[in-house]
Amino acid sequence: MKSFVSEDDGTLGFQIAPMVDVVFVIMLFFMVMAGAVKVEKELSTKLPGSAEGSPNAEFTDETIISISDEGEVSLNEEPFDSLESADLPQLRATLMRLKENADSAKQPAIVTIVSDAHAKYSRTIDVLNALAAAKITNVTFNVNEE
Amino acid sequence: MAGGGGGLEKGEPDFQIAPMVDVLLVILIFFMVITSAQVLNIDKTIKLPIAPEAAKKDDSRSEAIINVRWDPSANRSAFNFQDRLYDRGADLVEPLKAAKAYGEKVAASKPGQNPEFRVVIRGDRDVPALFVSQAMNAAAEAGISDISFSAVNRD
Repeated sequence: MKSFVSEDDGTLGFQIAPMVDVVFVIMLFFMVMAGAVKVEKELSTKLPGSAEGSPNAEFTDETIISISDEGEVSLNEEPFDSLESADLPQLRATLMRLKENADSAKQPAIVTIVSDAHAKYSRTIDVLNALAAAKITNVTFNVNEE
Repeated sequence: MAGGGGGLEKGEPDFQIAPMVDVLLVILIFFMVITSAQVLNIDKTIKLPIAPEAAKKDDSRSEAIINVRWDPSANRSAFNFQDRLYDRGADLVEPLKAAKAYGEKVAASKPGQNPEFRVVIRGDRDVPALFVSQAMNAAAEAGISDISFSAVNRD
């Protein structure tokens, strides 16, 4: 019988079983790492005033989301969600309704974020994340430096 | 004969180790590639904010990346652009203009590439919005209107 262990001359042949063990362990490592890896993503915006002018431009309602220096988020001056909430579920639900209404009226949903100069940037990203969840793309970002 | 692994005499094949090793190696290479392709190449001093709903990064365009650092102990920020540090956002205007001119030249030489140049802002999650605004103002002064904010999908 031909064996992987050549007992006749005292030398070991190629061992397939330990190799399969090692390959399994390495594969498990990469499988776990693939699930835990951080992926860089992006939230896009256009600077205001850069859009090309149109002779028959229609004026649409603009929604303003303001962020206070403490991180309180307000939509048209009405506060939404708690300071600790990063997901902003109330704001997200309201923005989804806003988007549905704008779509049914065949108007673009335009949102301007006005952040306090000292508010943390992560809060702006929380709001942009909620806007991305509501699929609102016409977003501008300003900082209130007063 | 016991070797060969075919077991054709009995009519049912034995367990085949060689094809299993082949498949394992292919799966291993797949996971190695997707894991290493997603390693972030960012300024290590910056803790990016989290945005699970953000879109996948568009790598097909010419872009300039501005890293906005924040030092909480000194309460000051710094802008890192093309491996150079700038204290003021206004100082970024001229380097951004040069980067835009170069990026558009490169995009024009590659057919099919989106010619619109953009700025990607990688801001620390704790930096005050004022400094991100300064980076945006510098981009506006350099004639770049397309801005993207960088974030990660998880902490």
